Amino acid sequence: MVVATAPSQANAASSQRAGPRTAAPQTGFAPWKNPDLSPMVRFEGITKRFDDFVAVNNVTIDIYEKEFFALLGPSGCGKSTLLRMLAGFERPTEGRIIVAGQDITDMPPYERPVNMMFQSYALFPHMTVERNIGFGLKQEGMSKDKIEERVDEAMGMLELRQFAKRKPNQLSGGQQQRVALARAIAKKPRLVLLDEPLGALDKKLRQQAQFELMRIQETTGTTFIIVTHDQEEAMTVASRIAVMEKGLLQQVATPGDIYENPKTRYIAGFIGDVNVFEGTVSKVSEGCIEIDAADGYKFKTKSSESVTVGQKVGLALRPEKIRIGREKPNSDVNVIPGKVEDIGYLGSISHYHVRTAAGERITALRANAAHTVEQSITWEDAVWLDWPVDAGVVLTG
Amino acid sequence: MKGRFSWFNATSITFGFAFLYIPILLLVIFSFNESKLVTVWAGWSTKWYGSLLQNQGLKDAAWVTIRVALMSATVATVLGTLAAITLVRMGRFHGRTLFSGMIFAPLVMPDVITGLSLLLVFVALGFDRGFWTITIAHITFTMCYAAVVVQARLQDFDKSVEEAAMDLGATPVSTFFQVTLPIIAPSVISAWLLAFTLSLDDLVIASFTTGPGATTLPMKIYSQVRLGVTPEINAISTILIGIVTVGVLSAAFFTKRQTDRAERERRKAFGATG
Amino acid sequence: MRARISDLKRWYVIGAPFLWLLVFFLIPFFIVFKLSLSDVATAIPPYTPTFSWSKGISAFISQLDFENYTFLFSDPLYINSYLSSLKIAFFSTILTLLVAYPMAYGMARAPKSWQPTLMMLVILPFWTSFLIRIYAWIAILKPEGFLSLFLIKLGLISEPLQIMNTTTAVYIGIVYSYLPFMILPLYASLEKINPSLLEAAQDLGSQPWRAFWQVTFPLSMPGVFAGCLLVFIPAVGEFVIPDLLGGSDTLMIGKTLWTEFFNNRDWPLASAVAVLLLLVLIIPIVLFQRQQEMEREAGR
Repeated sequence: MVVATAPSQANAASSQRAGPRTAAPQTGFAPWKNPDLSPMVRFEGITKRFDDFVAVNNVTIDIYEKEFFALLGPSGCGKSTLLRMLAGFERPTEGRIIVAGQDITDMPPYERPVNMMFQSYALFPHMTVERNIGFGLKQEGMSKDKIEERVDEAMGMLELRQFAKRKPNQLSGGQQQRVALARAIAKKPRLVLLDEPLGALDKKLRQQAQFELMRIQETTGTTFIIVTHDQEEAMTVASRIAVMEKGLLQQVATPGDIYENPKTRYIAGFIGDVNVFEGTVSKVSEGCIEIDAADGYKFKTKSSESVTVGQKVGLALRPEKIRIGREKPNSDVNVIPGKVEDIGYLGSISHYHVRTAAGERITALRANAAHTVEQSITWEDAVWLDWPVDAGVVLTG
Repeated sequence: MKGRFSWFNATSITFGFAFLYIPILLLVIFSFNESKLVTVWAGWSTKWYGSLLQNQGLKDAAWVTIRVALMSATVATVLGTLAAITLVRMGRFHGRTLFSGMIFAPLVMPDVITGLSLLLVFVALGFDRGFWTITIAHITFTMCYAAVVVQARLQDFDKSVEEAAMDLGATPVSTFFQVTLPIIAPSVISAWLLAFTLSLDDLVIASFTTGPGATTLPMKIYSQVRLGVTPEINAISTILIGIVTVGVLSAAFFTKRQTDRAERERRKAFGATG
Repeated sequence: MRARISDLKRWYVIGAPFLWLLVFFLIPFFIVFKLSLSDVATAIPPYTPTFSWSKGISAFISQLDFENYTFLFSDPLYINSYLSSLKIAFFSTILTLLVAYPMAYGMARAPKSWQPTLMMLVILPFWTSFLIRIYAWIAILKPEGFLSLFLIKLGLISEPLQIMNTTTAVYIGIVYSYLPFMILPLYASLEKINPSLLEAAQDLGSQPWRAFWQVTFPLSMPGVFAGCLLVFIPAVGEFVIPDLLGGSDTLMIGKTLWTEFFNNRDWPLASAVAVLLLLVLIIPIVLFQRQQEMEREAGR
């Protein structure tokens, strides 16, 4: 595997965004691909049981310095428990947690080099904004002047100076959220944990706050770990995403990979539309998998997924990867006939909803270029759908 | 507040409850003592309960006490509920501070002051002192406790339910009886029970406001206690403790059953998935 | 116009409790005050003057004087009872807080499923007769009582303890009887504290003990305040406890008032004692009312 260490020419434009944070793998921030780097945080075979309920089941994850790492999943999937074990509020039933080479599994929370931004913000209601932000520094026994300086720095970074003397209940939700973030970064910890940090904000504020989080993470150069149930949020902010479901780790990948190469039907459905065909593996050969679909079609796709003949799998296809036309393509794999049922016109592109003979409904995307008007496809037209062998993704889960 | 329940927590709870309950337990156990000495155990006996039944004065006092308590608890609950509604729902009005002052002050007012001032007002109004003056006195101080209990419940129930009823055409009065009262009913019942036991317990205020012929049980017990500790007092105390315990526990049981049922129905409604 | 009608209707609700408390709680204080200016007499009722329309108001007022108050201040017995009541109430409030706080704290941290039961266990003695609970202590504290017997059996003491009929017994009695009044508001305010605040404090480097003083204790102040007032105010005027457990040297104003009223049948002097007691307590009572109103405002 090629280790990408520098931004490629083609992506020079996008890499102008300052700092190491870059979600897309093409800009080159990918310490997880570098075998020489040791991880900043290592969850090693972590299991957490509450009585007979398994909240986290044998999870191993490595997180690298300066990453913005997202733990994503529905509520109750164990993501918050994992974060709370890292903060020290829960003790793993099995496994170890290592931060910067040090085993911190049994370390009490107040000794850990980790600060957390709480879901409810957990601002101390009896202290002013200033004192809230300075709380952690005071615990270190830092001098008054130095505390003041650091608090001021954090307030400046989050535009909180004018609220310094206010109590938390005199602030709006967005302001409270910024105070909580300022408090978590004031100690300049090596690791900042964010537990659903934007859950209480409305959609518009949320988007602003996401960019603010990214800005703070870039300027401070700190490692951030965020827990969220919002796929878009994870895709926006994170360098890598770990998807969890029912206590199990499903996939760890960059947002791009999550979109392009989802492992399970659940992950495939995260972002945008996806067509999933069910079928059985009929042949496995040098990086190619052939699938017999339920209704007699044959699919072939490039994949390194380890499957066996006879295994039931899904084939995921993004609408933009499917070609749609009136002429039958000269290929006998990855071809399906159907009838246009519905067209969604979206300006530069159109969605075509096609019903196959077997009754499946498939969505395909096509750009509305002017010169294609003459052969434009319309309602009730008989069409052919096809896609290249590298378009589909085999789903095993 | 949740946290790790430490040994320190467990110890302080254990010692605290030992402090609260050991005196009561000793009292109850020694009411079954054969001996007349209340601190030396001489075997089981229920003879002191038997001798209670022979004591006509005690029985009369008990009857007066129960009638006063029933009467005053009922009136106090009605007045207290109205007072709670006033405090929570009426917003600002002239005399509001005075009103809330008159609700909260009796909770902490020393009994001797309340008793003396009530007596003087009865004398000034020319009331014959006895059963009725004790009852009025008890209504006055227990209604404030009732108001506080009901107020707590009224505060955390959603006002929009009442607004919905009125929006659907119910008058304020029928809204109260069809919507508000059923919702706050458990707290009204606890308010009644609290008023009842407070009236049952009161010594000082009753002593001031009583007249000839109306001796309550606490007054009777007090006059005997001053003469020394006797197993009969232990026995009557045990009976009173028993009544209160059964009352409080059954009230708690009904409240719990109600909330459990509500919880079950809520789960059923949401299609329990585990 | 509509507003006026609904204003009128509101008074149907407000009126009954308002009038009741006016007649039986507030006006009586004025009568107590008036009586404190009267003289004792061998009559029914045992004081003069009694008001009559035939003699007129001015004749009635001209007979009132401050004689009782001058007497109260001239006899050190009364001053000492006030001071000693305040002292006993103050220290027993602190003792009660010291006993109640760890209990309330433990209850608030106990598993959620235990909490209703623990609450029940605190409320139960609170509902049990005050008199009976004080009575129970007589059998424990008297020289041949359970405590002395127990300690002699352990070999810790050889002579019976002399606690009964001393001020120490009064302290024990007050702490014991008022403990639930302290625990309940403390527990209520501790239980409300969001657990993530403590986690946040620890996360920012505060050790558990420091986190307690920096976060938990300040946030429980409303409960501390309410509990202390709930104990202090009635304790100042306490009668039953000093009467049954205290000795002849235990001076408390509630007992003094009772003696003046029942034993000496001096109603005017008893009224003057009550008026002065009320003056001492008026500030804490107003504080208590304001605190309760604030809680109510915060609760909505």
